[in-house]
Amino acid sequence: MATLLKIAWRNIWRHKVRSRLIVFSVAFGIWAGLFMQGYVNGMAEGRIRIAIQNELSHLQIHHPAFKKDMEPVFVIHDASGIRTFIEKSPAIKAVTLRHVAKGMVASPVATAGIKINGIIPGQEVNVTAIRDKIIDGDFFPGKSRNEMLMGEKLSRKLKVKTGDKVVITLVDRENNITSGAFRVKGLYRTSNAPYDESNVFVDESTLYPLTTGTPEYNEIAILLKDNKDLAGFASTLKKQYPGLLVESWRELAPELDLTISTVRQSMVIFMGIIMLALAFGIINTMLMAVLERTRELGMLMALGMTKGRIFLMIFYETILLVFTGTPFGVLAGAMTVYYFNVHGIGLSRWKDVYESFGYSDVVRTSVNKEDYWVIIILVVITALVSSLFPARKAVRLNPAEAIRK
Amino acid sequence: MEPIIDAHNLVKVYNEKGIPVYAVNGVHLHIEKGEFVALVGPSGSGKTTVLNMIGGLDKPGKGYVRIAGVNISEMSADKLIQFRLRNIGFVFQSYNLIPVLTAKENIEFVMLLQKQKAEEREKRALELLAQVGISDKADMRPSELSGGQQQRVAVARALASKPRFVLADEPTANLDSVSASNLLDIMEKLNREEEVTFIFSTHDQRVIDRAHRVITLQDGKVVSDTKRT
Repeated sequence: MATLLKIAWRNIWRHKVRSRLIVFSVAFGIWAGLFMQGYVNGMAEGRIRIAIQNELSHLQIHHPAFKKDMEPVFVIHDASGIRTFIEKSPAIKAVTLRHVAKGMVASPVATAGIKINGIIPGQEVNVTAIRDKIIDGDFFPGKSRNEMLMGEKLSRKLKVKTGDKVVITLVDRENNITSGAFRVKGLYRTSNAPYDESNVFVDESTLYPLTTGTPEYNEIAILLKDNKDLAGFASTLKKQYPGLLVESWRELAPELDLTISTVRQSMVIFMGIIMLALAFGIINTMLMAVLERTRELGMLMALGMTKGRIFLMIFYETILLVFTGTPFGVLAGAMTVYYFNVHGIGLSRWKDVYESFGYSDVVRTSVNKEDYWVIIILVVITALVSSLFPARKAVRLNPAEAIRK
Repeated sequence: MEPIIDAHNLVKVYNEKGIPVYAVNGVHLHIEKGEFVALVGPSGSGKTTVLNMIGGLDKPGKGYVRIAGVNISEMSADKLIQFRLRNIGFVFQSYNLIPVLTAKENIEFVMLLQKQKAEEREKRALELLAQVGISDKADMRPSELSGGQQQRVAVARALASKPRFVLADEPTANLDSVSASNLLDIMEKLNREEEVTFIFSTHDQRVIDRAHRVITLQDGKVVSDTKRT
C-alpha cells in the first residue's frame, strides 16, 4: 500500500501544470464554498441580530389574546412584578415594559397604519438599539408633552420632519375612537425599511391615557445575554406564567426563520454546482491521465498487478490531488472569512434593496466548525465519486491491447 | 519430461463478424526448459499474438496453452494475473519501465506484488542489477537511463520473480547495435549459466543469429522450426 501511494504521489507530479490546476480547482472550490457559506451565515446572523436588537428582542410576553387585534383590554397584570422576577435571572441583560397599540397616524398630507410603541425610554434603551438609530432630532428630550420618534421612511411618506405635528388615532378600552396630537422629536432609521415605515415610539405615559386610561402594560420585551439561553429561559417563563403567552423571536417572526432557512437551502444548491464543476474537472484530468498511460497500465497488468491494485492506484492519485488542495482551500477560506468578519463586506450600493428586506448593508462573514466539516466532507465525497469513473476505465483495459498502444 | 510450454493448435481470429482475419492459425509449439528461442517472421505473421497467448495476456480462440502442465487458456482473468506474476517474466519492445520508480524500485516492484519481504527484495534487486551490469544506475529513474540500460533493467525485472521463462517482444527493436549486442550477451549469459528460458519475437537479424532455436511464422502458421547447436 505504501508503494502504491508512493507511485500514485509521483504519478500525479508527472504533469505538474495539470496537477497544480486540479489542486487549485479543489482549493478554489473549498474557498468558494466556505466564503459563500460565510456570506450566507453572515447575512442570516446579521438579520437575526438586527431583529433582536431593534425589533423583537429575544423574548416577548403578552396576554394570550392580545396579539390577535392588539386590543388595549388585554393587558399583563402585575407586569412590574413580572419584570422584577425576570430581572433577577443571571441570563438577563435587560427587560422593559411597553404599552403597545395599533392605530393610524395622520399628517396634513397623508395617513398610515402604524404600531404605536409606548415605551419607558429609560428601560427601552437597554433592550433595543433604537436610540442609536436616530438620524435627526433627539431621543425623547422631555422638553414637551407627547413626543414621538418616527421612522425616516414613514416621515417621508407623511411628508413630515422633526418638529412637525402628527395626529394618532386609535381605539380605547371601550372601543371608542380616541386621538392625540404628537410632535415628531426624532427620526430613526434601522436596517429594516418595512419596520421603519410601520413603527412609531412614544412615551407610554402619553399613550395609556388614550387607550386604557390607567398605566398598564401589554408587552414585556426581554434581552438575554446569550442566545443560547433562549430555549431554557423561555421554558422557565412558560412554567412560571402559564396564563401568559411567552414567545421567542423565532415564534414572533416565523417568516424570519423561514427566510433564513430558505437562504441556507439555496446554499446547498450553490454547493452542489461547485461540487459538480469540481467533479467534472477531476474526472476530465484523471481520465486524461489514464488514457495517456494506457500502455503503462497494460504493462503493470501484464507484470501481475491486479485490477484491484490498478483501481486503488488511480483512486489514490485522485485522493492525493484532492488532499493536497484541501488544506490550501480551507486556509484561504478561513482567512477570507476572518478578514470579512472583522472588516465586513460593504453593500452600500444596494443598501435600499437589502434594507427593504430587513438585512444590513454590511455583511460580516461567519463560518462555524460544522460548516467546515460539511464542506470538506462534500469535497472528499466528490473526489471519491469522481475517481470511480477513471479507475473503472483503467481496470477495464485489456493488457495485450493496452501494451500495443 | 513435460515441456515448459505446450501450445496446441492455437487459433486466433479477429473480426469474426465481418471478414475474418486469422492472426494465428493452428500453431503447435513445444518449448523445453533452458531454451533460447526466437519467434521470427514478417510484420503481421502472428509473432506477438503467439507470444501474448503463451504469456496469458490473450486467450486463443481455439486450442490451448499449457505452462508446466497447467492449462492457462481456461483460467479466469484474475487467476491469470496471479499465474503471470509467479511464472512468466516479460520484456517489452519499448522499455516499459515504471517511469516514476528508480531502476532498483522497478525490479523490486514485481517482488513487492509477490509480497516478498523488503530485505529479500532489495538483496535480489541489487544482485540482478549486478548481473545485467548496471549496479551504478540503481537509483536512477528510467528517464535518466539510455535505451540499452532501460532494457537491461527490464530484463532484470523480468527475472526478479524467478519465472519459469521470459517472454521478450522485439527487445532490441529500439536499440542501437552496440546496446542490442550487449543486451543479447546478458540474455545469453543468463540462459547459459542460470538456465533461464527466453522466448523472444523479433525480425532483427542480429537477434536471430544469436538464437539457439528459430521458429518462423508466416500468415499465422509455423513454417519452419530450426534448432542450432
